[in-house]
Amino acid sequence: MTADNQDREGGAVSRLWGAVVDGVAAVGTLMIGVLMVIICADIVARNAMGASLPLVSEAGALLVVTLVALQLGATIRARRLARAEFLLLALQARSPRAAALLRAAFNALGAVILGIIAFATLRVFEKDWNAAEFIGVPGIATLPTWPFRLLVLAGFTIAAIEFAFATLSALRRAVRGQA
Amino acid sequence: QESISLTVASSHPTVVPWVGMIQTHFMARTDEILAQTGTYKIEWNEAFGGQLYKANATLTSVEEGITDVGWVFSFLEQAKLPLSQASSNAPFSSANPPAILAVMEELYETNEAFRNEWEQHNLKVLGFTATDLYDIYTKTPMTGIDDIAGMKISAPGVLGNWLRGTDANAVDGALTTYYTDVQTGVSDGVLTLALGALPIKLYEVAPIINRFDAGGSFSGAIAINRDSWDGLPEEVQNAMIEAGKYYTVSHGEDLVAKHEFALNKMVELGAGQSVPVQIVDMPEGELAKWANKLPNIAKEWAEPLDARGIPASEFLSAYLEGLRARGEVPVRDWDK
Amino acid sequence: MTPLEIGIYAIFALLVLIAIGLPIGIGMLSVSFAGVALIRNDTVATRMMAQVANDSLEEYLFAVVPLFVLMGLLVTVSGVGRDTFDVFQRLMRRVSAGLGMATVFANAVFASITGISIASATVFSRIAVPEMRRHGYTSRFATGVVAGSSVLGMLIPPSLLMIVYAVLAEQSVGRMFLAGIGPGLLLSAVFCVTILLLAYARPSFVFEAEDKAGEDAPIGLSELLRKALPILSLMVLVLGGLYGGFLNPTEAGAAGAFGALVIALMRRSLDRKTFWGLLVETGQITVSVLFLILAATFFSRMLALSGVPRELSELFLAGGIGPYGFLLLYLLLIIALGCLIDSISIMLIVLPIALPIAQAAGFDMIWFGVLTVIAVEVGLLTPPFGLSVYTIKSAMNDPDLGIGEIFRGAVPFILAMLVCIALIILFPPIATWLARL
Ligand code: NA
Ligand code: NA
Repeated sequence: MTADNQDREGGAVSRLWGAVVDGVAAVGTLMIGVLMVIICADIVARNAMGASLPLVSEAGALLVVTLVALQLGATIRARRLARAEFLLLALQARSPRAAALLRAAFNALGAVILGIIAFATLRVFEKDWNAAEFIGVPGIATLPTWPFRLLVLAGFTIAAIEFAFATLSALRRAVRGQA
Repeated sequence: QESISLTVASSHPTVVPWVGMIQTHFMARTDEILAQTGTYKIEWNEAFGGQLYKANATLTSVEEGITDVGWVFSFLEQAKLPLSQASSNAPFSSANPPAILAVMEELYETNEAFRNEWEQHNLKVLGFTATDLYDIYTKTPMTGIDDIAGMKISAPGVLGNWLRGTDANAVDGALTTYYTDVQTGVSDGVLTLALGALPIKLYEVAPIINRFDAGGSFSGAIAINRDSWDGLPEEVQNAMIEAGKYYTVSHGEDLVAKHEFALNKMVELGAGQSVPVQIVDMPEGELAKWANKLPNIAKEWAEPLDARGIPASEFLSAYLEGLRARGEVPVRDWDK
Repeated sequence: MTPLEIGIYAIFALLVLIAIGLPIGIGMLSVSFAGVALIRNDTVATRMMAQVANDSLEEYLFAVVPLFVLMGLLVTVSGVGRDTFDVFQRLMRRVSAGLGMATVFANAVFASITGISIASATVFSRIAVPEMRRHGYTSRFATGVVAGSSVLGMLIPPSLLMIVYAVLAEQSVGRMFLAGIGPGLLLSAVFCVTILLLAYARPSFVFEAEDKAGEDAPIGLSELLRKALPILSLMVLVLGGLYGGFLNPTEAGAAGAFGALVIALMRRSLDRKTFWGLLVETGQITVSVLFLILAATFFSRMLALSGVPRELSELFLAGGIGPYGFLLLYLLLIIALGCLIDSISIMLIVLPIALPIAQAAGFDMIWFGVLTVIAVEVGLLTPPFGLSVYTIKSAMNDPDLGIGEIFRGAVPFILAMLVCIALIILFPPIATWLARL
């Protein structure tokens, strides 16, 4: 369940990158707490004072997207994305090098796919920025969406880079003939 | 005969009247016109009911070509379609949906800023949509708008503005939550449309329909992706333009008929309840009284947009003038 | 290639990619991207994928996932599970194989405050298994009971699987929760019958030694109340709030997580480090679930463009096998997939294809959902990949306990689940009566 560190080089770059991934994920982790608190506040406000708090449902929805994006890199790093590993493990037992190459290919595909998402999210961000996109109701309460969009963009970018790092380390293992 | 493949999609299912009419009126009329010469035939690939995108992405999905043709729900595009919000920020200006639709259709031709706000999103508008009329659904009859002071009223976020100044507490909600909200006392009543109230059986828990006939609003448009449009032969384009106009008119008439039908249907279905469904007509002048209780929400909406160079005040006047020219009498002169 | 062919190739490509070990979410995104690029073009594919990534998770309802997961993890550390087991252990102390049944009952009650089966498996492998061993039960049976009854965690509300199904099938989460109660009670009963039958007909499967630990002291009323109070108050808060109409599902999750936090703090089972660890764990479970939902959304939109679901439903329903033939094949497919991949992935791969067919067949979608959830949960117990079994193995941390031993112990409970599925197919009101009330 913990990150598989055996293949991680102990270099400064790698450690620094790990800190970036974990730091960004921590922001996402905090958002789970924020979510719990604002929703509980809304329950109290509605049942005790009879009126909903503004923005809670819209901000809650936006927080979900954001926290998933922010924690995606750390989840990839911890190898917690759902997958079926049997054939891969069987292959690994017979040919560690082939298994490492296959892992490198998977990680590269992940980097490409998440890279495309990050790249295309840049456009979504630009549009939100240009249109001054917001949630809520003007005259009651509003919140601009671009800061969330920026975090989503950062999250997918970091996740793509994490996959790219994983590709490199799998390739290194393939060269050395390790699993 | 040349066949042309087009995807048509919506976030809402075809049981929603104006989505169903995309099939029965817009598509059918287009096919009918094209059949006259038989040169072209459209193969429609239908993806209604949120198969391709949800209500939060109706504009971008047409813009980006995820669908060729789709219904754009302007209520949920407050930032990207600011001028299109005029009617819901100038409430109760007309209880005549066909007039609202006619004015919006005309403004689309004559008001460059309005047309631009749509066309800059890489699309071409073919037809327009509006809502039916708003009423307040409660458990006990009201005598006028003063009665909602202190009540908890469910309304979708955007319409929270219509309750400011009435001393009612706005409870955020959506069609899917109203029934249980009222049933369990989360709210005491709902501000909603007859066409929305009927399918969710709101009358079972809030059997009194306090009839304000609080005006309809502009709600969106049938649009086609600009790249898809540019690739169509002129004959097909002309057929679609004509079908779009037919759609808009038919939809307006349908709103009037369906609104009355829905009200009557609720009375009929709820006749046997312990508290039978009852339509309580609000006295003359109550709607004006309600409108005058509100802060000037039209001004609050328009001024920040004016400041950003979006001519909202001008558009607001044009909208209300258009209604007046068609004999409608807005209950409050939001533009003056 | 026609769009239909592209869609069919995409499904096969996905199955192959998953089989060779590609992360399932990445697999769904890749084949969907390729599919849309071929059906339309690569610009549309890129924009559609970005839209899915940015918009599809933007739903208030999805906040329910981290909140119920957090609640489940908090009750796991706070010792609420042990108290529940204590209560049932003392109540059942004179019954034959009573500890086995106490485990089932404690799981059923614990299930009503957690939405994830791994929480149940973790808690009861540490509490119930040592107690059963002490009283002379075989380790095979003891772990098998825990594995089997852990599936109740995602059948009795709240339930992560019900939430996922409700989202994909556009059903009300509240109703799906209600629909799990009847089948959850039925399954508990069938488990108890199974335990009694085993103790009677195959005692060597259940017991390996005389019970030398002796009888536990009976439980006094005040102690019973003290132990039952935390779990009862959480049940009232979550289920009472939900069905009393004070809370929507998302709010029930938030209130439940907050309530569990209060209980954990009052029992001093939470320091800052543990709490942060729980939040991080919550985040990673949430991401793995919601990232799959995101990817499955793109997959189902690609399929909608290809027309595969429409064609398949015509094939199944107009062809020879009919609605019930389809249902049988569908359940078998799910159980087969359950041998290899995790519960939520199965639902997200299969439902985009199966839901339109089930709808066209005129099935009650709530009933269909309950059958889906139970069939998916069979996979928690089947080798080679059985998540509940793996969880027990790692929670027990006992090198002498083989994984095969736990899988063998779970076999009777797999059979019991199949019986339960058959009963719900024959008597749909077990699932639908409460939900449609
Ligand atoms: Na549960
Ligand atoms: Na399995």
